[in-house]
Amino acid sequence: VAKTSLTSPPWPEVPKLPDPVEEAKYHAAEVVQKVNGMISAGEYGRLFAVVHFASKQWKITSEDLIMMDNVLEAECGDRIRLEKVLLVGADDFTLIGRPLLGKDLVRVEATVIEKTESWPKINMRFRKRRNYQRKKIIRNPQTVLRINSIEIYPCLS
Amino acid sequence: QHFRGRKNRCHALAVRSVRRAFVKSTKARRQKKRILRKLWITRIEAASLEHGLKYPAFIGNLVKSQVELNRKVLADLAIYEPKTFKSLAALAQRRRQEGFLAALGDGKEPEGIFSRIVHHH
Repeated sequence: VAKTSLTSPPWPEVPKLPDPVEEAKYHAAEVVQKVNGMISAGEYGRLFAVVHFASKQWKITSEDLIMMDNVLEAECGDRIRLEKVLLVGADDFTLIGRPLLGKDLVRVEATVIEKTESWPKINMRFRKRRNYQRKKIIRNPQTVLRINSIEIYPCLS
Repeated sequence: QHFRGRKNRCHALAVRSVRRAFVKSTKARRQKKRILRKLWITRIEAASLEHGLKYPAFIGNLVKSQVELNRKVLADLAIYEPKTFKSLAALAQRRRQEGFLAALGDGKEPEGIFSRIVHHH
Protein backbone atom coordinates (compact mmCIF):
# COMPACT_ATOMS: atom_id res chain seq x y z
CA VAL A 1 0.00 0.00 0.00
CA ALA A 2 1.46 3.40 -0.95
CA LYS A 3 2.36 5.72 1.89
CA THR A 4 0.22 8.88 1.91
CA SER A 5 0.13 11.83 4.26
CA LEU A 6 -2.54 10.10 6.36
CA THR A 7 -1.09 6.59 6.73
CA SER A 8 0.80 7.38 9.91
CA PRO A 9 -0.30 9.84 12.61
CA PRO A 10 1.27 13.32 12.44
CA TRP A 11 3.06 13.02 15.81
CA PRO A 12 6.50 11.38 15.93
CA GLU A 13 6.88 7.70 16.84
CA VAL A 14 7.43 7.26 20.56
CA PRO A 15 10.20 4.71 21.27
CA LYS A 16 9.37 1.81 23.55
CA LEU A 17 10.27 2.55 27.15
CA PRO A 18 11.81 -0.17 29.37
CA ASP A 19 9.49 -2.16 31.63
CA PRO A 20 8.93 -0.34 34.97
CA VAL A 21 9.28 -3.50 37.10
CA GLU A 22 12.54 -4.52 35.50
CA GLU A 23 13.79 -0.98 35.63
CA ALA A 24 12.97 -0.67 39.34
CA LYS A 25 14.93 -3.87 39.98
CA TYR A 26 17.95 -2.66 37.98
CA HIS A 27 17.81 0.71 39.71
CA ALA A 28 17.60 -0.76 43.21
CA ALA A 29 20.25 -3.39 42.61
CA GLU A 30 22.93 -1.66 40.58
CA VAL A 31 22.59 2.11 40.73
CA VAL A 32 21.70 2.52 44.41
CA GLN A 33 24.34 0.01 45.54
CA LYS A 34 27.02 1.68 43.47
CA VAL A 35 26.19 5.18 44.74
CA ASN A 36 25.96 3.96 48.36
CA GLY A 37 29.33 2.30 47.98
CA MET A 38 30.85 5.46 46.56
CA ILE A 39 29.45 7.60 49.36
CA SER A 40 30.59 5.28 52.15
CA ALA A 41 34.03 4.91 50.57
CA GLY A 42 34.28 8.69 50.41
CA GLU A 43 35.20 8.80 46.73
CA TYR A 44 33.62 12.18 46.06
CA GLY A 45 35.53 15.48 45.84
CA ARG A 46 33.74 18.76 46.45
CA LEU A 47 30.02 18.49 47.16
CA PHE A 48 27.60 21.17 46.05
CA ALA A 49 24.00 21.50 47.24
CA VAL A 50 20.95 23.49 46.24
CA VAL A 51 19.24 24.78 49.37
CA HIS A 52 15.95 26.67 49.79
CA PHE A 53 16.51 29.35 52.43
CA ALA A 54 14.96 32.77 53.14
CA SER A 55 12.48 32.23 50.27
CA LYS A 56 15.36 31.94 47.78
CA GLN A 57 17.24 29.02 46.31
CA TRP A 58 21.00 29.00 46.60
CA LYS A 59 23.65 26.82 44.99
CA ILE A 60 26.24 26.39 47.76
CA THR A 61 29.50 24.56 48.40
CA SER A 62 31.59 24.41 51.54
CA GLU A 63 33.44 27.59 52.65
CA ASP A 64 30.81 29.71 50.89
CA LEU A 65 29.47 33.10 51.96
CA ILE A 66 25.74 33.83 51.69
CA MET A 67 24.05 37.16 52.36
CA MET A 68 20.34 37.51 52.94
CA ASP A 69 18.23 40.63 53.08
CA ASN A 70 16.47 39.92 56.37
CA VAL A 71 17.00 39.36 60.07
CA LEU A 72 17.79 35.93 61.50
CA GLU A 73 16.94 35.30 65.15
CA ALA A 74 20.34 33.76 65.85
CA GLU A 75 23.33 35.46 67.43
CA CYS A 76 26.66 35.90 65.64
CA GLY A 77 28.68 32.71 65.87
CA ASP A 78 25.68 30.35 66.12
CA ARG A 79 25.84 27.11 64.16
CA ILE A 80 22.76 26.54 62.01
CA ARG A 81 21.63 23.44 60.16
CA LEU A 82 20.01 24.21 56.79
CA GLU A 83 17.15 21.85 56.03
CA LYS A 84 15.13 21.95 52.77
CA VAL A 85 17.86 20.61 50.50
CA LEU A 86 16.68 20.25 46.90
CA LEU A 87 19.73 18.77 45.14
CA VAL A 88 23.12 17.40 46.17
CA GLY A 89 25.86 16.63 43.69
CA ALA A 90 29.46 15.66 43.33
CA ASP A 91 31.61 14.90 40.31
CA ASP A 92 30.22 11.45 39.44
CA PHE A 93 26.71 11.39 40.89
CA THR A 94 23.83 13.72 41.80
CA LEU A 95 20.95 13.13 44.18
CA ILE A 96 17.85 14.94 42.93
CA GLY A 97 15.11 15.44 45.49
CA ARG A 98 11.41 15.24 44.60
CA PRO A 99 11.17 18.02 45.71
CA LEU A 100 13.19 17.74 48.92
CA LEU A 101 15.86 15.28 50.04
CA GLY A 102 15.57 13.43 53.33
CA LYS A 103 17.10 14.91 56.45
CA ASP A 104 18.94 11.67 57.19
CA LEU A 105 20.67 11.87 53.78
CA VAL A 106 22.25 15.34 53.76
CA ARG A 107 23.50 17.67 56.45
CA VAL A 108 24.41 21.31 55.69
CA GLU A 109 26.04 23.31 58.49
CA ALA A 110 26.40 27.09 58.49
CA THR A 111 27.53 29.77 60.96
CA VAL A 112 26.18 33.31 61.31
CA ILE A 113 29.08 35.71 60.79
CA GLU A 114 27.72 39.20 60.45
CA LYS A 115 24.48 41.08 61.03
CA THR A 116 24.71 44.48 59.36
CA GLU A 117 22.59 46.94 57.44
CA SER A 118 22.77 47.42 53.72
CA TRP A 119 24.18 50.53 52.08
CA PRO A 120 21.69 53.44 52.18
CA LYS A 121 19.47 53.00 49.12
CA ILE A 122 17.59 56.04 47.89
CA ASN A 123 13.93 55.79 47.00
CA MET A 124 12.86 58.86 45.01
CA ARG A 125 9.54 59.66 43.37
CA PHE A 126 9.13 62.66 41.13
CA ARG A 127 6.36 64.02 38.90
CA LYS A 128 7.36 66.72 36.46
CA ARG A 129 5.62 70.10 36.42
CA ARG A 130 3.52 69.09 39.43
CA ASN A 131 5.87 70.14 42.24
CA TYR A 132 5.90 66.60 43.68
CA GLN A 133 9.01 64.84 44.87
CA ARG A 134 9.63 62.49 47.78
CA LYS A 135 13.02 61.20 48.86
CA LYS A 136 13.46 58.32 51.28
CA ILE A 137 16.62 56.54 52.38
CA ILE A 138 16.17 52.84 53.03
CA ARG A 139 18.56 50.65 54.98
CA ASN A 140 17.80 46.92 54.97
CA PRO A 141 19.10 44.63 57.69
CA GLN A 142 21.34 41.93 56.26
CA THR A 143 22.82 38.70 57.61
CA VAL A 144 25.94 36.96 56.37
CA LEU A 145 26.28 33.19 56.74
CA ARG A 146 29.27 31.00 56.02
CA ILE A 147 28.58 27.41 54.93
CA ASN A 148 30.92 25.23 56.94
CA SER A 149 30.31 21.80 55.49
CA ILE A 150 27.99 19.61 53.46
CA GLU A 151 27.86 15.92 54.44
CA ILE A 152 26.02 12.98 52.91
CA TYR A 153 25.29 9.62 54.54
CA PRO A 154 24.90 6.36 52.58
CA CYS A 155 21.30 5.63 53.47
CA LEU A 156 19.72 5.39 50.00
CA SER A 157 17.09 2.79 49.22
CA GLN B 1 33.36 59.98 35.63
CA HIS B 2 29.82 60.39 36.89
CA PHE B 3 27.57 62.63 34.75
CA ARG B 4 28.74 63.80 31.36
CA GLY B 5 29.29 67.42 30.34
CA ARG B 6 28.19 70.42 32.41
CA LYS B 7 25.94 68.19 34.52
CA ASN B 8 28.94 67.38 36.70
CA ARG B 9 29.96 71.05 37.18
CA CYS B 10 26.92 73.34 37.21
CA HIS B 11 24.59 73.20 40.21
CA ALA B 12 21.18 73.62 38.57
CA LEU B 13 21.87 71.13 35.79
CA ALA B 14 23.37 68.71 38.31
CA VAL B 15 20.34 68.90 40.59
CA ARG B 16 18.05 67.93 37.72
CA SER B 17 20.20 65.05 36.50
CA VAL B 18 20.80 63.68 40.02
CA ARG B 19 17.08 63.71 40.68
CA ARG B 20 16.47 61.80 37.43
CA ALA B 21 19.22 59.35 38.39
CA PHE B 22 17.56 58.59 41.74
CA VAL B 23 14.16 58.09 40.13
CA LYS B 24 15.60 55.82 37.45
CA SER B 25 17.40 53.73 40.03
CA THR B 26 14.22 53.17 42.06
CA LYS B 27 12.31 52.05 38.95
CA ALA B 28 15.21 49.89 37.79
CA ARG B 29 15.21 47.96 41.06
CA ARG B 30 11.83 46.52 40.05
CA GLN B 31 12.83 45.94 36.42
CA LYS B 32 16.05 44.19 37.45
CA LYS B 33 14.05 41.20 38.63
CA ARG B 34 12.35 40.92 35.22
CA ILE B 35 15.60 41.37 33.29
CA LEU B 36 17.44 38.76 35.32
CA ARG B 37 14.63 36.25 34.91
CA LYS B 38 14.70 36.74 31.13
CA LEU B 39 18.47 36.22 31.14
CA TRP B 40 18.16 32.99 33.12
CA ILE B 41 15.47 31.76 30.74
CA THR B 42 17.60 32.39 27.64
CA ARG B 43 20.55 30.61 29.25
CA ILE B 44 18.46 27.58 30.21
CA GLU B 45 16.98 27.50 26.71
CA ALA B 46 20.44 27.47 25.12
CA ALA B 47 21.68 24.73 27.45
CA SER B 48 18.63 22.53 26.93
CA LEU B 49 18.85 22.94 23.13
CA GLU B 50 22.36 21.53 23.36
CA HIS B 51 20.81 18.42 24.88
CA GLY B 52 18.03 18.26 22.27
CA LEU B 53 15.13 19.68 24.29
CA LYS B 54 13.21 22.92 23.94
CA TYR B 55 12.72 25.21 26.96
CA PRO B 56 8.94 24.76 27.48
CA ALA B 57 9.30 20.97 27.23
CA PHE B 58 12.22 21.00 29.67
CA ILE B 59 10.61 23.19 32.31
CA GLY B 60 7.16 21.59 32.00
CA ASN B 61 8.49 18.06 32.39
CA LEU B 62 10.73 19.04 35.31
CA VAL B 63 7.75 20.54 37.11
CA LYS B 64 5.65 17.45 36.37
CA SER B 65 8.35 15.23 37.91
CA GLN B 66 8.14 17.28 41.13
CA VAL B 67 11.60 18.88 40.86
CA GLU B 68 11.14 22.42 42.19
CA LEU B 69 14.34 24.14 41.06
CA ASN B 70 14.02 27.76 40.07
CA ARG B 71 15.46 29.37 36.98
CA LYS B 72 18.33 31.09 38.70
CA VAL B 73 19.69 27.80 40.06
CA LEU B 74 19.05 25.99 36.78
CA ALA B 75 21.05 28.64 34.91
CA ASP B 76 23.92 28.32 37.43
CA LEU B 77 23.87 24.54 37.12
CA ALA B 78 23.90 24.79 33.33
CA ILE B 79 27.02 26.97 33.50
CA TYR B 80 29.03 25.33 36.27
CA GLU B 81 27.72 21.74 36.46
CA PRO B 82 27.18 20.46 32.92
CA LYS B 83 26.85 16.81 33.98
CA THR B 84 24.07 17.60 36.44
CA PHE B 85 22.26 19.61 33.79
CA LYS B 86 22.56 16.71 31.36
CA SER B 87 20.99 14.36 33.91
CA LEU B 88 18.13 16.83 34.47
CA ALA B 89 17.59 17.06 30.69
CA ALA B 90 17.49 13.25 30.46
CA LEU B 91 14.94 13.18 33.30
CA ALA B 92 12.75 15.69 31.50
CA GLN B 93 13.00 13.76 28.20
CA ARG B 94 12.00 10.51 29.89
CA ARG B 95 9.02 12.12 31.62
CA ARG B 96 7.98 13.66 28.29
CA GLN B 97 7.93 10.28 26.56
CA GLU B 98 6.01 8.72 29.41
CA GLY B 99 3.49 11.53 29.01
CA PHE B 100 3.18 10.81 25.28
CA LEU B 101 2.59 7.14 25.94
CA ALA B 102 -0.04 7.89 28.55
CA ALA B 103 -1.82 10.29 26.19
CA LEU B 104 -1.76 8.00 23.16
CA GLY B 105 -3.28 5.07 25.00
CA ASP B 106 -3.29 1.56 23.60
CA GLY B 107 -3.33 2.43 19.91
CA LYS B 108 -6.63 0.58 19.39
CA GLU B 109 -9.62 2.04 17.60
CA PRO B 110 -12.18 3.87 19.73
CA GLU B 111 -15.48 2.11 20.43
CA GLY B 112 -18.88 3.26 19.23
CA ILE B 113 -20.11 3.71 15.67
CA PHE B 114 -19.59 7.38 14.97
CA SER B 115 -16.15 7.68 16.62
CA ARG B 116 -14.67 4.78 14.66
CA ILE B 117 -11.90 5.92 12.28
CA VAL B 118 -12.12 4.61 8.70
CA HIS B 119 -8.85 3.61 7.02
CA HIS B 120 -8.68 4.14 3.26
CA HIS B 121 -6.18 1.83 1.55
